Amino acid sequence: MTSSLTHPQVSGGPTGSALLEVDDLHVEFRTDYGVVNAVNGISYTLSAGETLAILGESGCGKSVSAQTIMGILDSPPGFVTGGEIRYQGRDLLQMSAKEQRDIRGEEISIVFQDALSSLNPVFTVGMQIGEMFRRHRGYSRGDAKKAAVELMDRVRIPSAKERVGDYPHQFSGGMRQRVMIAMAIALDPAILIADEPTTALDVTVQAQIMDLLGELQRDTGMGLILITHDLAVVGEIADRIAVMYAGRIVETGATDAVFGAPAMPYTQGLMASIARVDQKGQRLNPIVGAPPNLAALPTGCPFHPRCPRATPRCPTELPLLREVVPGRRAACHYAEEVLGV
Amino acid sequence: MSEHVRTTTADAAAVPHAPLRAGEALLRVEGLVKHFPLTQGIVFKKTIGQVRAVDGVNFTLNAGETLGLVGESGCGKSTVSKLLMSLERPTAGSVFYKGTDITNLKGRELRRLRRNIQIIFQDPYSSLNPRMTVGDIVSEPWDIHPDVVAPKDRGRRTRELLERVGLNPDFVNRYPHQFSGGQRQRIGIARALALQPEIIICDEPVSALDVSVQAQVVNLLAELQQDFGLAYIFIAHDLSVVRHISNRVAVMYLGSIVEIGSEDDIYEKTAHPYTQALLSAVPVLDPAVRAHKKRIMLTGDVPSPANPPSGCRFRTRCWKAQDVCAEKAPELVDRGQGHPVACHFAEAVQVVEALDVVDEPLPATEPGLSAPGSRRIGSAPADRSEA
Repeated sequence: MTSSLTHPQVSGGPTGSALLEVDDLHVEFRTDYGVVNAVNGISYTLSAGETLAILGESGCGKSVSAQTIMGILDSPPGFVTGGEIRYQGRDLLQMSAKEQRDIRGEEISIVFQDALSSLNPVFTVGMQIGEMFRRHRGYSRGDAKKAAVELMDRVRIPSAKERVGDYPHQFSGGMRQRVMIAMAIALDPAILIADEPTTALDVTVQAQIMDLLGELQRDTGMGLILITHDLAVVGEIADRIAVMYAGRIVETGATDAVFGAPAMPYTQGLMASIARVDQKGQRLNPIVGAPPNLAALPTGCPFHPRCPRATPRCPTELPLLREVVPGRRAACHYAEEVLGV
Repeated sequence: MSEHVRTTTADAAAVPHAPLRAGEALLRVEGLVKHFPLTQGIVFKKTIGQVRAVDGVNFTLNAGETLGLVGESGCGKSTVSKLLMSLERPTAGSVFYKGTDITNLKGRELRRLRRNIQIIFQDPYSSLNPRMTVGDIVSEPWDIHPDVVAPKDRGRRTRELLERVGLNPDFVNRYPHQFSGGQRQRIGIARALALQPEIIICDEPVSALDVSVQAQVVNLLAELQQDFGLAYIFIAHDLSVVRHISNRVAVMYLGSIVEIGSEDDIYEKTAHPYTQALLSAVPVLDPAVRAHKKRIMLTGDVPSPANPPSGCRFRTRCWKAQDVCAEKAPELVDRGQGHPVACHFAEAVQVVEALDVVDEPLPATEPGLSAPGSRRIGSAPADRSEA
């Protein structure tokens, strides 16, 4: 791919060792109001056992990229207009529906934000978890139920045996999210995508769920893609981070390195704007303005209307994601200055 | 902008608020209880139980201060806000405004009271009428309270209010759907300010907003508080934002306050096990602070408020629980930690070490971002990118 020259990989290791490679992915939505450019050429890789956080605000394209990997993008209106998603070297986008279905759940699975609307209200949770085994492994009803109880134990749902016949509405929000996780890890996938898994949950429950995900990852060695808008959650669990803005990755690197010294004014602005529990009230420093409309992106760097560093170069020339220091990439003309190197 | 501020304060003086007697809190809540009946049957409804949403809440709010009310979903914090606004009638207990019991006000008196206590809702999308223009939304309170602003001045005052909350005054004829979430929340704030209230109840005002926009709204609220001497009750589940904005903080669990004190008391000398667990669960960005954070993982879920545990309500999830906790509900009193705590075994602990940040720009911040923020918040660039 020629485009991989202009869109370098976000990766630790050399190409080929990675489990999942997303390469110059473009997704657009064709709506009555015009074409919405949701994902504009993003590239990243994920290795086994690694946690990659994709951080961004609503409408930055982070969930759309996850849906595309899972092959569950609503199409129409969504269309993949370019790029590849390689799982163990094979392009998911070129596979037949049947091949994709076999990989889904078995190799790559997903946990959604809203567990209540992702579970079917008229089936028991036991049936919904067991369905994974019946569909993919050909288990009998009884075996599937047994396997469901084991999984519910594993995600620490108390008295799993009694609760396997309960319906989703009989569970609390945190327990429902555990059911979702049970379904997602049922077939020991190599990759788990968690799309805002704790946004709808209370903070003590959020801590429990993040703890559980970390533990499952250590046990199974799966790669985890965590999609979120919460910087502090990212700081707590991710190895690497990709910051998205307006459908592009604007900064990547090891989590502590990025948060220690951001190389992109957007990341810097986000960090300065959040209230932090470990800091007493001083004035917050917000980023001016609001995230851009994806149907009418600004010219040049999409962040320039909100950027305190913008120069005449920014509205005319799109900065590409490039290496600033080893292991760190940023899409800013002035990344070196921002980073202070 | 300061000109408008002055005009508004002058107008405020023209409609005097009742004077506050010395030593009297602006708002005092005593033994507030709200139970919702659980019913069975369709035609003949039979009460089969009570959801104890709020069960004995006491606090005071002083003029010009911010009281943060934190707790997880279902702890009754939003019900408290509705009771304060007289949107719900309490089952028992009273709310005193400047020493007057306002719990059972009706008709004209209730309307007069509501002028002084206003609310900002969580969801800026559903709390604005999509068929009304922004100008109509902001000026509607004056239809009910015509004496606040004379009809001929309404247009001018609406534009002033919009400008004061950082919106372009030329947008008065636009509809809510033409604005972003942050801008809609500003419209809600302008509406709350229209009657020049003394108290604004902010019910999760930034939870629905994007991360980069939350700070704009938090800063705006802080500025308005200074300019108009407002008192806030700031309801939120985000302990970071609450710490940022509050002078005092009350922590709720299952319908009652378990700990209340100054911001320092709650965050540095955390004494109730639930508050400790809550603080410990907040993710921390700074790796150095994270390394020293105490890790407390709560097990299980919040019990149902329809059937709360006996004695201390937190005992079913508490690692300190003993027999006495099941027998006797702990009172909310000072147990030697310097602030009231409802726990038999209260003990002050610092869960998260705070960095004392002085009021100057963060090291990595751009001069442009930290400059006298008021001028920049949601000013022209915001409007340009959206509209």
